[in-house]
Amino acid sequence: MDMSDKKPAPAPAPESRFTVSPMTLAADRWMGRLIRIGGVGVVLAVFGMLAFLIYQVFPLFTGAKVAPVGALSVPAAAVAFGEDEYGDFPFVVQSDGKVIFQRAKDGSKLLEWSPTLGDRRVTAVRSYPRSGLVFFGLSDGSVQEIRIAYRSTFDAAGKRAVEPSVTALEPIAIGKPGLPCVDVWNAKGAQSRLLLVRQESAGKPLLTAVRLTERKGLGGKAKVTVSAPFVVAAEVNSVEQVLLPSTAESLIIVGKSGEVRTYADDGTAFTFLQSFVPFKDSKDTAVASSGLIFGNVSVVFVSRAGEQQVWSMYPQLQPDGKSLRRWGKIHDGEVLAGAGEGVYAAEGNKCYIAVAGGKLQLRNMTTGTLRWEGDAPAGTIRQVAFAGNYDRFTALSADGKLHRWSIVDHHPESSWDAFFGKIWYEGASGPDYTWQSSAGSDEFEAKYSLIPLLYGTAKGTIFALLFALPIALTAAIYVSQFLRPEYRNVVKPVMEIMASLPSVVLGFLAGLWLAPLVDPRLISLFCAVGILAPAALFAGFLWSVLPQPVRRQVKPGMEFLWLLPFLALCAYFAWQAGPAVEAAFFTVKDTASGLPIADFREWWRQTTGETYDSRNSLVVGFVMGFAVIPIVFTIAEDSLSNVPNSLISGSLALGASRWQTVWSVVVPTAISGIVSGVMIGFGRAIGETMIVVMATGNTAVMEANPFSGMRTLSANIAVELPEAAAGHTHYRALFLGACCLFLLTFVINTLAEILRQRLRERYKVV
Amino acid sequence: MPEIMNPPSSSRIKVRPATEREGRKDYISIRDYGFWYGQKKALDAISLDIPERQVVAFIGPSGCGKSTLLRNLNRMNDLVDDVRHEGDITISGRSIYDAGLEVISLRRRVGMVFQKSNPFPKSVFENVVYALRVVGVRDRAVLEEACETSLRKAALWDEVKDRLDDSALGLSGGQMQRLCIARAIANRPEILLMDEPCSALDPIATGKIEELIHELKDQFTIVIVTHSMQQAARVSDRTAFFYLGKQIEYDTTEKIFMNPSQAQTEAYISGRFG
Repeated sequence: MDMSDKKPAPAPAPESRFTVSPMTLAADRWMGRLIRIGGVGVVLAVFGMLAFLIYQVFPLFTGAKVAPVGALSVPAAAVAFGEDEYGDFPFVVQSDGKVIFQRAKDGSKLLEWSPTLGDRRVTAVRSYPRSGLVFFGLSDGSVQEIRIAYRSTFDAAGKRAVEPSVTALEPIAIGKPGLPCVDVWNAKGAQSRLLLVRQESAGKPLLTAVRLTERKGLGGKAKVTVSAPFVVAAEVNSVEQVLLPSTAESLIIVGKSGEVRTYADDGTAFTFLQSFVPFKDSKDTAVASSGLIFGNVSVVFVSRAGEQQVWSMYPQLQPDGKSLRRWGKIHDGEVLAGAGEGVYAAEGNKCYIAVAGGKLQLRNMTTGTLRWEGDAPAGTIRQVAFAGNYDRFTALSADGKLHRWSIVDHHPESSWDAFFGKIWYEGASGPDYTWQSSAGSDEFEAKYSLIPLLYGTAKGTIFALLFALPIALTAAIYVSQFLRPEYRNVVKPVMEIMASLPSVVLGFLAGLWLAPLVDPRLISLFCAVGILAPAALFAGFLWSVLPQPVRRQVKPGMEFLWLLPFLALCAYFAWQAGPAVEAAFFTVKDTASGLPIADFREWWRQTTGETYDSRNSLVVGFVMGFAVIPIVFTIAEDSLSNVPNSLISGSLALGASRWQTVWSVVVPTAISGIVSGVMIGFGRAIGETMIVVMATGNTAVMEANPFSGMRTLSANIAVELPEAAAGHTHYRALFLGACCLFLLTFVINTLAEILRQRLRERYKVV
Repeated sequence: MPEIMNPPSSSRIKVRPATEREGRKDYISIRDYGFWYGQKKALDAISLDIPERQVVAFIGPSGCGKSTLLRNLNRMNDLVDDVRHEGDITISGRSIYDAGLEVISLRRRVGMVFQKSNPFPKSVFENVVYALRVVGVRDRAVLEEACETSLRKAALWDEVKDRLDDSALGLSGGQMQRLCIARAIANRPEILLMDEPCSALDPIATGKIEELIHELKDQFTIVIVTHSMQQAARVSDRTAFFYLGKQIEYDTTEKIFMNPSQAQTEAYISGRFG
């Protein structure tokens, strides 16, 4: 056709022109997968972190695992027992003083030893299983000490053989001659050892003691001096139980009617301290059983009805105004299944076994938690002893059995209450939230309350936000709505650089530069801050009354230059006026010299009774605020700038002023972004670590006082994790802190996101 | 129809007696007006008078300056950086650049409807009464009355009376634009500027807005910028044609469309360029 000559039809395109290259498809597919992997990976990482934290924390909230290991048949006449370090070769002591060693494995006899006492008999036996000391109270009132030792030998094959040995010392005459001993106790004081015997004399108990002082000669044998016997607590009419702490610092006598009398021993004499009736409000006031807890300052009393009470020595205010260490009840424990039959303390922690109503209960004294409960073996329990490393305990029952249990309880001191509740620790004057993870003494009880740390976290965050939010938000509004674009383009990057300042630098500045600078000039600082806002308003007012021609001289947008020198001048005068203000309002009498001094710090201490630290919450809030401002500013400014100009024009065209436009159109429209900025700033302040570590004293106190320090969860982890033993309660408690931090930020961020979505829905722009 | 109460505002321009308003021919008077965006001259030597209570249409190809002139009537171009002007614009004899005249009070007198509808992310009610709120009206009854009056004037009342508390963003495009008109007239301005109010609307919505303009011209002086010559012909009493920042011709609409005196005008309205 003609037409086709004039306009040649385009050559049919090869099919390949329209096919998509396999590379494009593959790249599309693979990038899609990669992005999906990345997204899922992030979610998994977050949940993995939470799972790891929970995995680390979980053991804290499991009870003890206690399992019976076996029972060894021993002579029924056995009244006391002891064992070696590994519990492989226990021995029992019969009421006649015969000591029998058996193999725990098969019950076979290893050694039998009988005392040679002539015409005297053994009338009382006391064994201290952990130290290998056995004491015989004899029929004539004297006491014989028996020392048990185990010697390990290894044969050629490297197999361990243990050879027990028994050494009997010369009996020491202590009690009233001729009267049989009813009971005997031993304790090691700082200077001397105390041996105490109880006899019955004319229906009255008689307690007599001697002190054994050991002096080491020059290279020779130790020479033991025995003091003359002396009567202790002569006024006591009845004795149900005597508790003699292993340190011989005190003596506790429980009478038959339930009256407890305590004495203090200073190494030379016992002085009466205090008497009390633990169950005075109960129907039956008698104390069925009692036991000293490790540390020797707390006693668990169990009544016949199974009620438990813990009494401890702690500083108490006396009527004369002095604070003295006296006994007082610190806990009311749970009621046990029946009358108390015995309280036996663990070594190295505050746990004890309470025997009552056919049950054995492993309890923690401090937290009051039940770690484990099991059935008591048949027959009266004569004695229970824990292994030194708290991995096993052994009980001797009256039917001739030595029962053994293994314990797996890595965190006996932990419980929900220990971390989040008020706990009355030994030696404290009342229940409190305390974090104190370490101290010099072995008997120290670590305190792991997270409440002071949560409090410190909240305090630091609030102070930081109180400082940061007004500045960041007003700055964001000013920069996005009022500042000329050319300045905005300078201010924004500068603020973003501020955000990238490492917080360790800010912390360094806060702790080493700002805190010492502010400390003596606090009032100056207050004056300067207080005067800035009115000064800015006043400067604005002055500007508005300037005649129009003068104002026209200044380029629009440069008006703030007028403000700067004015503000600087005001701040300078306020700073200089500080000492005068301090002298006028904060003059107090110096406690040392008695002269009046103008010192706000002293004034604060004397007026409020609160502490004043130079590294205080104000400094932290100020510097942490600096870390938070750029984040809040940047996000809020972005969202304010993103408010469509058409809305602003619309508002202005309706005759609204610029401020009305900002307040009723721009801010509501940008509110979701502002909220997320605030929340991200909040999250940053909660998690901020280095500033807090460096600029506070890191004391875990709970005070609203703005002039005291604090310790936050994150700072606590940073400071203590390096010295916490992996797997130890301390270590896991730190992880629990991390878990709290994680959940706290998670919850806050989720709430913030929900709020943000709602606001966005409400104020979304077409 | 109930009258809206006059918003209590001392900064408001004194309302002239009604007799003076009758048919004043130079109600808005633009004299030798030039306008620069930076170095670029957007308007050059514009001189025209807009009579009271008439509809004046500005037409011309894109970039001819018609929108710039419109936006200068309520000084919306002040928001743009680095602009300057020469000549003067007076409204009933008073210069809009008068140092004693707050730009806010000018804008309360000269309302504006934008090309793209821009309802605030608030409820329909709050959108309409926004201008009253900013002058400090708190009385709920007054606000409700003003809202109904304005929505009725904007022919939107029947469509939205049951959802005054719903977000304005849920309305259709045409409804939103009429809402913006209602919002602009709620504060009882004297002049209404419309910057291509129908450019984003379908023909039905456009028809409604044009009808509305007809009704509103009894009470307002309306200046409308439009790309549609049919629209200019339909709604306006007078038409000004601009080209490259210059005012080519200004006369009654009938004259401009039937018998333009300038060749450029004829070329534009007959569709030969632009």
